[in-house]
Amino acid sequence: MARPANPHAMAPARPGATRTAPPQIPDDFWSQPRMRTYLLFDATGIVYLLVGLVALRVAWALAAGPEAWRALLHGFSNPLYLLFHAVALAASLFVGVRFFRLFPKAQPAHIGPAKPPPQPVLHAMLYAAWAGVTLALLAILGGVWP
Amino acid sequence: MKALLLRLEPVIWLLFGAGIMVGTLLLPGYLLTVALGAPLGLLPAHALSYERAHMLAAHPLGRLVLLAVIALPLWKGAHHTRALCVDLLGHGSDALVGSLLYAIALAGSIAGIAAVLTI
Repeated sequence: MARPANPHAMAPARPGATRTAPPQIPDDFWSQPRMRTYLLFDATGIVYLLVGLVALRVAWALAAGPEAWRALLHGFSNPLYLLFHAVALAASLFVGVRFFRLFPKAQPAHIGPAKPPPQPVLHAMLYAAWAGVTLALLAILGGVWP
Repeated sequence: MKALLLRLEPVIWLLFGAGIMVGTLLLPGYLLTVALGAPLGLLPAHALSYERAHMLAAHPLGRLVLLAVIALPLWKGAHHTRALCVDLLGHGSDALVGSLLYAIALAGSIAGIAAVLTI
């Protein structure tokens, strides 16, 4: 008759020098500065979610006609909307600064024969793309071009 | 439900990654003009008149960019909000919270596709 498996069957014969305990989150984890920044980074998700839903209203207004479009832009001048969009701008800048710093570190060493550019170069390329896209949108939506 | 979320993880991650990258590239330009510049009167009057805004959004590239501004932040937002809930509330409610958030992102994305096609 088979015996029940020994839970320590795969353990090394002699215990290692370092004792390990099951990982546990400290009760005050949220008050650690690094953890707070990390939670703030996750919390930008709430703002992004709302920005996406408001952008859906923008598309609906454009599809509905001139009256709806004017009403939407008038609604955006409500102080609550302005405050929300200012917070959204701050959130997108925070995400960009943090994520573009992280992105070069997270690249694979190579994909086939292709290697990513050195980390500082990749970091600079992301900022260049960010500035380029932002300037293009400012020019197009700001009425400068076309 | 948890098993389904795990199975869909690659797709969710792709949309989340696109959301954090493309969404963040696009959002400052969109927010500074449509969401803040126009309501505050910082832009020339013709810049976002209905005729011009409609012309820009009806261009194939305009439709694509508008859809990106709608759908990609939704997926970035859903995934990060789910992670925040796991950190603060634990794993117990994750299947429910995750499903709900992804359902919002999915519904918003489908509504976004329909909206940009009708402009």
